[in-house]
Amino acid sequence: MSAQAGADAVSAASAAAAAATTTDATSAASSAVAHTGFALVVDHIDYIIMVPLVYVSILALLVGIVWRVVTIMRSAPPPYPLRLYPAARNAGLAALGDTFAMPQVRRHRPVFWVFLMLYHAAFILLILGHLDIIPQLRLLPAGSRHMLGAGAVGVAVTLPLLFFLLRRLRSPLREISVPSDYLLLLLLLFLFLFGDMMSWGNSWSPNGFVMTKQAFSKYFDGLSRLTFADPRAVLPGSHYHFAVIHVLLAESFFVLLPFSKIMHTFFSMPINLLRRR
Amino acid sequence: MEAAISGTLKQLFETRLHSAMRLYLDTCARCGVCVEACHVYASMPQARYTAVGRAEVIRKIFKRYFKLEGKIAPWLGEVLTLDDATMDQVSDAAWSCTGCRRCMTFCPFGIDTQLIMSIAKALLIGADKEPKLLTMLADMSIAKSEGIEETKPGFTRAVEDLAPEIRALWPHSKDPVVTVEAEGADVLYVALAGKHSIIPAAAIMNAAGERWTLSVYEAVNFAAFLGDSKKMQLIARRIHDEAVRLKVKEVAIVECGTAFRAMKYMTGVHPFKVVAFVQLISRYLREGRIQLSKGTLKGTLTYHDPCQIARNGGVLEEPRHVIRHLTADFVELRPNRADNWCCGGGGGLVALGESDFRMKSARVKAEQMKASQAAIISTACENCHSQLTDLNEHYGLGMKVEFLSKLVADALMK
Repeated sequence: MSAQAGADAVSAASAAAAAATTTDATSAASSAVAHTGFALVVDHIDYIIMVPLVYVSILALLVGIVWRVVTIMRSAPPPYPLRLYPAARNAGLAALGDTFAMPQVRRHRPVFWVFLMLYHAAFILLILGHLDIIPQLRLLPAGSRHMLGAGAVGVAVTLPLLFFLLRRLRSPLREISVPSDYLLLLLLLFLFLFGDMMSWGNSWSPNGFVMTKQAFSKYFDGLSRLTFADPRAVLPGSHYHFAVIHVLLAESFFVLLPFSKIMHTFFSMPINLLRRR
Repeated sequence: MEAAISGTLKQLFETRLHSAMRLYLDTCARCGVCVEACHVYASMPQARYTAVGRAEVIRKIFKRYFKLEGKIAPWLGEVLTLDDATMDQVSDAAWSCTGCRRCMTFCPFGIDTQLIMSIAKALLIGADKEPKLLTMLADMSIAKSEGIEETKPGFTRAVEDLAPEIRALWPHSKDPVVTVEAEGADVLYVALAGKHSIIPAAAIMNAAGERWTLSVYEAVNFAAFLGDSKKMQLIARRIHDEAVRLKVKEVAIVECGTAFRAMKYMTGVHPFKVVAFVQLISRYLREGRIQLSKGTLKGTLTYHDPCQIARNGGVLEEPRHVIRHLTADFVELRPNRADNWCCGGGGGLVALGESDFRMKSARVKAEQMKASQAAIISTACENCHSQLTDLNEHYGLGMKVEFLSKLVADALMK
């Protein structure tokens, strides 16, 4: 049993007990009140954000990515080879190295490279961490109160993002930046910070966050089984709007991704092949 | 700018949107890693002289006309509309880039700024704002092929007059010392306008006992500088057709980086091999067909890797092999090979004059030359040679600037 799993087992019982009492008590007030007027409108907006828009944004993400990739693939090939020399022995392996190890950045901007590597590795863990919340895909023990990495993954994506933002404010990067560069970074920063609050709360505070990982697991389970159930039933407490904002920011990110420079996620390998092949 | 012209420019832009171009325009993260790659920025630190700064001019036009973002939220990417002010920016970007592709070695994605600048140059041609001198030179190259039969006798006589100077370098040259478009030759040598590009090469090939002949065309491809792909193909086609007609096995391109890259890589597949002349010299040395005397050079020698031959052409070690036969007193420039600083004269800048910009923008090159403490700097490119000569004079470096072929010809063991 790993150290984290051990800690999870110990904490699981107390977390469950705390959740049973604390969250019930907290949510009781909010759920007992019948919403009317503006509160009812907000409830509806919350529901749209938490359920239908999740599907819409994921669909937009997938369609957008496919559309962008197909547009490139259907374009004419370049008129002549664009490779650089000395030629690599194996162009594919070299392009893979360029894509995942970014040796050019390591050589010319070592500090930036450290943050870039940390960020990208942590982003992959972040995706895995969210998949872990889906009960059918669980990676950590069922009773664990922690996100994958127990909050460390959140640190590892948030700190580099702050670094990326701050370095963009300095010349000459400031002059070559456009508003979308800052807005994208800010979108991600707030997306991460809202996620961090929930993840760090559950992992680092004695009583955990208001909504436990198990509560989010129920929400994800409903989404994955297309129940269209109102998540309010499984995500108790007035901190619900933290989750709603986090989900809304994630949806915005999904919709914008195919139209943004983050498409480098998919284009980095083929574009690196051009200079290697 | 009239709407009709901007419409034409938009269409012109669209014709350049092949898959690589779309990737290059879509992928840049504006991370700024390329910033210090450019010799112009290193010499004159202004954002417009960075690779990304230049590419952004084209990228912002791309967003305006071909991306959803440019239509619904143009402020997000600070898009540019095709008008006179934008065309001034396009011109500034295009003609401050030498197309050396050093930035490509810095970029984590390998974005080719030279290729993006080909759109800039195409737009300038479309707007009738391109440098007319380059257009004229490219047109002259094409026109020359149309009246070649009339000029051939005069060219042949002029070449025959070079025999004494070739024999001074290699006395054992047999008659005729130089043949023009002779059938049965193995190698077609394509020179430049100027005997300096023929005499040393002729002496070396004669010394090697090569079955070679001289092309009636000059190798330089001004349309490549101009970014006019159609004219570039036409200019290359003249040499292609000549080589096919003469049934040569190999076309050896004079020491001219752009001519070599255009012929070898940018104008399709040829039924003959294309080599840079320095590769031919290296092969002669390897095969023992020529021997060089190591005593002819006085002082430390260094070598400038021409961008289009080295980083963009793959000829990196052959010049050093040749130099090892020339002298033991050799020092590398730092950085060198694929990392070498551009001389600052490429992309047509030398042909255009642009002396003030070339000298200011290549300050870092002059510093690199000076730091080598070499007495002689050699290179294998006409453009580089001209620019290094100008830098040497402008910055008072006190070096000798030589073609590698000239050093080899002078050192032939008779």
